[in-house]
Amino acid sequence: MTVLEEPIKEVLHLKNYIDGEWVESEGEIKDVVNPATGKTIAKVPISTEGEINEAVEAAKEAYPDWRRTPPLARARCLFRLKELLEENFEEVSRIQTVEHGKTIDESRGETRRGIEMVEVATGIPSLMMGYNLEDIASGMDEYLIRQPLGVFGIIGPFNFPFMVPLWFAPFAVATGNCIVLKPSSEDPISQVKIVELAEEAGIPPGVWSIVHGGRTVVSGMLDHPDIEGICFVGSTPVGRDVIYRRCGETGKRVIVMCGAKNFALVMPDADLDRTMAACMTSFYGNTGQRCLANANLVIVGEGLSEQEYDAFYKKVVDAFVAAASRIRMGYGLDDTIHMGPLRDARKKQTVLRYIEKGIEEGATLTLDGRQFELVGDLPDTCFVGPTVFEDVTLDMAIAREEIFGPVAGIMKASGLQEAIDMIHQIPFGNAASIFTGSGKWAREFQYSVECGNIGINTGIAAPMAFFPFSGMKDSFFGTLHGQGREAIRFFTESKVVIQRWF
Amino acid sequence: MESVSLTAAAIISFSEELEDKSSVFYDELADRWVENKEAFQTFSKEGGKNKTWVVRTYQETISDALEATFSFEGLNLEDYSVETTLAEDASYAEALEMAIALEEKVCEFYLEVAKRSESLLATIPGAFRRVAKRRNKRKLKLQSMLDKA
Repeated sequence: MTVLEEPIKEVLHLKNYIDGEWVESEGEIKDVVNPATGKTIAKVPISTEGEINEAVEAAKEAYPDWRRTPPLARARCLFRLKELLEENFEEVSRIQTVEHGKTIDESRGETRRGIEMVEVATGIPSLMMGYNLEDIASGMDEYLIRQPLGVFGIIGPFNFPFMVPLWFAPFAVATGNCIVLKPSSEDPISQVKIVELAEEAGIPPGVWSIVHGGRTVVSGMLDHPDIEGICFVGSTPVGRDVIYRRCGETGKRVIVMCGAKNFALVMPDADLDRTMAACMTSFYGNTGQRCLANANLVIVGEGLSEQEYDAFYKKVVDAFVAAASRIRMGYGLDDTIHMGPLRDARKKQTVLRYIEKGIEEGATLTLDGRQFELVGDLPDTCFVGPTVFEDVTLDMAIAREEIFGPVAGIMKASGLQEAIDMIHQIPFGNAASIFTGSGKWAREFQYSVECGNIGINTGIAAPMAFFPFSGMKDSFFGTLHGQGREAIRFFTESKVVIQRWF
Repeated sequence: MESVSLTAAAIISFSEELEDKSSVFYDELADRWVENKEAFQTFSKEGGKNKTWVVRTYQETISDALEATFSFEGLNLEDYSVETTLAEDASYAEALEMAIALEEKVCEFYLEVAKRSESLLATIPGAFRRVAKRRNKRKLKLQSMLDKA
């Protein structure tokens, strides 16, 4: 067993980064607490309206020069940032573990995904190219140019504090825009580290700013006339009813990525060993705090007799519960740990309420996450163990609502179509997975299911940096998505030129 | 160490430890048997290369293949602990025999973790196998050195 060295030795006093300077905030100060140990690791300011305005003003001033910086020169800054992130791979990973609670494997995985965003954005000279056609009429040509828009606001979530803002930031900056980023005040440290490296990489003052805070900063972004668009990742009520609505009112571009309740279907021909390994990652990875986590496991009896189905159901449930029971919980810096704590005690209370609700609603609690063992001498304030409910039906809150914790609901379906119909009865449409050896079933699944990200024999359908991170129904609001070519389109305006020379 | 379902991070840490220990061991052999200094120094340097190869593969693949709770079930790392302390009065032949035993054990470890990581992207077991192959070649070379001793 190796317990890795903590990356933060003394309490950090975080500042805003505005116009290339680290500046103290006048706002109130909040503690950033390591959820595994309960220790305060940083103090983060809740910035004022004046401070967000100052950051937007600085970004607006920086924009004309940055826009005129050749794409290749902008790409070079991102190449340097990518190299610096690689050099600091381990440190930024350990920061995520102490600020969020996730295991070191999860943090390293998050770091890799984040770096890939920067890596893809370095291709901006090609990605940003327009297109043209000669002789649209005799002697006339037409071409399309992609131009940046100005200043964008990025609002990050707590569950992937390093990676998620990078779904947008490198693409925005690469296309010639400036950004003002508000990290989650629960775990803002890794974003501070990124900006330190961005500064070192030569990204000019005002291009990539950070303003810590809460609602005041978000409202300031939403209402600011000089912010062209907003990227938000968070809960559906806030995303839909606040961010999306306000951006509509103020005419801003918007990417709003929200909550989820994802299904995994296990077909009778699935490779059970590999399916269970994928399910553990999917249901319990990041302690269930991920919008691509599967939460409902549907055991499908397509083509089976009643007796065969009962045996199949038991086999899957036994394997799932056995695998979940082996999950070791503790401090994510201990490299033998499979699952860390939830981000904070309030989130634990929410998960516990859902467990109680599941019992009240009549589901069978097969594995009780309220009873657990921790590896190491740690406070149990934020920990909940892997939980499994059977006999879950779609009318239950635990089947329909996003719990954002390590709780799996097991359901039954007699056939594939019934299982797909179950998915469609849920308001969310972020992701869904099927485990099968049948191409026919897999195709039918991907063709019919109304979800933005489909996994076939994979539990986490996480699109790579060069594909959009999709989402449907109450999981996504907007038109274009983050990552890849869609992000390039989001952060640019298409200008068409028609020319004729006399 | 008890047999638990080990994380990828734990396996990588153990692999790094094995390579570091091996390098120190071969450095000592290079110091004590100067007539074969070059060969032993090469083995020592290879340890660094192996470590870089495995860690790089892990860090570059982890987002796809090794996320979260992937486990190397039932592996007992104590089975692969290696002896690298050379007795003061050890002869050249004894040192080579110890090196061969070390290579066998390390090779066994890499092949075992390659087998257990088959369900991940092919680059992961591929990296372990590549190091196992390199260590096996080293074992053959050591055997030939022992035969000539």
